[in-house]
Amino acid sequence: MEWLEIFDISLFRSVLRNMTPIALIGFGAAMCSSAGVLNIGLEGKMLNAAFVGVATSFYTGSALIGFICGVSAGILTSILFGLLSFKLGADEVLAGLAINIFALAGTRYLLETLFQRRGFFSDPSIQGIDPIHFKFLEGSKFELIFSGYTPSVYFIFFLAVILYFVYYHTRLGTSIRATGENPEAAEDAGINTIRIKWFTVIFAGFLAGIAGTFLSLENMTLFTEGMSAGKGFIGLVASAFGNSTPLGTFGASAFFGLGDAIGIRLQGVYELDSRLVLMIPYALTVGILVLIGIRQRYKIRRVPIQNN
Amino acid sequence: MEKFSFKDVLILIAGLFITSIFAWSILRATGHIPSEIGKLFLKGAFGDKRNISNTLNAATPLILTALATVVAFRVGMFNIGVNGSMYVGALYAAWAGYRFTGLGHYAHVSLCLAISVTVGALWMLLPAVLRVYAGVSEIITTIMLNFVAVLFVSYMANGPFRADPIAPSTPRILETAELKQYFPNSQFHSGFFIAVFVSILFYFLLNKTTFGYELRSGGDGLVGNYPSRYSSYLGIPSNRSAIIGMLMSGGLGGLAGGVEVLGSVRNFYQELQFVQGFDGILIAIIGKLEPIGGMIAALGYGALKNGGLYVDYKTDVSREIVVILMSILIFFVSAQKIVRGLEKYEIVRRLESIFSRKIK
Repeated sequence: MEWLEIFDISLFRSVLRNMTPIALIGFGAAMCSSAGVLNIGLEGKMLNAAFVGVATSFYTGSALIGFICGVSAGILTSILFGLLSFKLGADEVLAGLAINIFALAGTRYLLETLFQRRGFFSDPSIQGIDPIHFKFLEGSKFELIFSGYTPSVYFIFFLAVILYFVYYHTRLGTSIRATGENPEAAEDAGINTIRIKWFTVIFAGFLAGIAGTFLSLENMTLFTEGMSAGKGFIGLVASAFGNSTPLGTFGASAFFGLGDAIGIRLQGVYELDSRLVLMIPYALTVGILVLIGIRQRYKIRRVPIQNN
Repeated sequence: MEKFSFKDVLILIAGLFITSIFAWSILRATGHIPSEIGKLFLKGAFGDKRNISNTLNAATPLILTALATVVAFRVGMFNIGVNGSMYVGALYAAWAGYRFTGLGHYAHVSLCLAISVTVGALWMLLPAVLRVYAGVSEIITTIMLNFVAVLFVSYMANGPFRADPIAPSTPRILETAELKQYFPNSQFHSGFFIAVFVSILFYFLLNKTTFGYELRSGGDGLVGNYPSRYSSYLGIPSNRSAIIGMLMSGGLGGLAGGVEVLGSVRNFYQELQFVQGFDGILIAIIGKLEPIGGMIAALGYGALKNGGLYVDYKTDVSREIVVILMSILIFFVSAQKIVRGLEKYEIVRRLESIFSRKIK
């Protein structure tokens, strides 16, 4: 059984690395869609953060400043999204699309203007964020499994637990869910739904910022054009597959991470065409969407049809 | 949706004005002289016969992709996947272009375009069916299919359809399948007239026929979503119109790809990149989701794109600046509250009434 050999510790590590950006985006998207906001623009927020992270890290030589500026770029982009959709009455989908296109063209433009590069930018003076090695695990057999990841990988576990608690056991979580499920009733109950939506959008922008800097400063220390490569949308699908709950989203993104990791490994074992391997995450996403569809169809059958 | 009104024109002009200020300050900040760049830009877009024909050539696929977006959005489906349809349509048009021999010019061109339309429409079948029968957001499905399409066509150009042992590309299409190019040093081709004709056809189809009314009732408006209650009150099956609209939109995307391959590229190679599907969304929104408005906006965007290319070629200003400015323009055009806020002003209301009276 040759193919069984790919299931080993390095596959596990690869799953964790691949699922991190998807989970970060997924948590943000889950919060947004729980509050009834369809946040298409996460992809652009992630891309902006990735670029700003690399650029500031290159100029200042400090990974921390790069990280902070990258996350701020993610937050600022979501403030733009919030302004457009909540203040100026633009449609959420259009605002999100415009932000994605803006981020793709804007980072490409800055790449050419600031660094005179096309395609990608890498330089030894970009400081990446180093992996964390736990001293107490050194030498034990757990070291290979638990130690040596970058901070964001640990952060998603922490986040899954915290968000689970917030989502089900706090006033804020209840308000978020109420805003999404029935805005009028939520308003009657004294919840400021616009404020809740702003909160979720900015929180998602914060997470998208972390995801962006994860791509450009932690996973690799370089920037390539369109390096988010649809992860923002895959995160959205992960949150939809996980029913917009924190733990469900976490599980769904682990599944996506597994698909990615297996694809990468299979390429090494079987010498598959690289284009087919690159297609795996997207094809997997379409497959998951079909599954979501079947699930929803089943639900629709069981519950009497309501006019929304 | 409201008709094209004076307010929209006002917003568009204001948006253009503000975007030019943005452009001016961006160019200033990067140490260029804005007026020089502007002159180069105009020269690139409309300078001489060659530049104008290049502008029209750039506009050709944009007219079709904008129309594809218009049709989908008007039935209430947010189809972001026009670019994917365009890729597969282009691939199969190239395939049909070299595969079928012994046909006349018109027969061969029609066959190729019919195949690209069919393939493009089939590409949209899955998102449409998933949306209508299972409630899966068509936005995400179509975006994912865009990524799949790029990798799929690149695989096909490398594998099954590959002819050239050195470069991954299909064979050149046969002479009978070529759309005629009119000028020696420009790629402007007869596909432009196909695009304009199809736009006018869809104007009549959408606005002047019962079938078009049924389609539109699914989700008429910039933010109208399928399924609409309006349509169910009228007793019109909005499921059917949503699926037909999606397939039409995919077909138009495929046609855009087919026209581009038969007219200007003439074979399909791995590095061929299309962004017109995404540009088409911006254009359609600026054209207020009207077929004719979209066509005019596409011509304008073609000029912008061609001028941007010329500036990129002559100076070190990146061509991406055009897309940045377009997305800023979209921020303005899509902000409905600015449009509504304008009604406060007496003069706007008065001008509006004069303007609309003239139209009638």
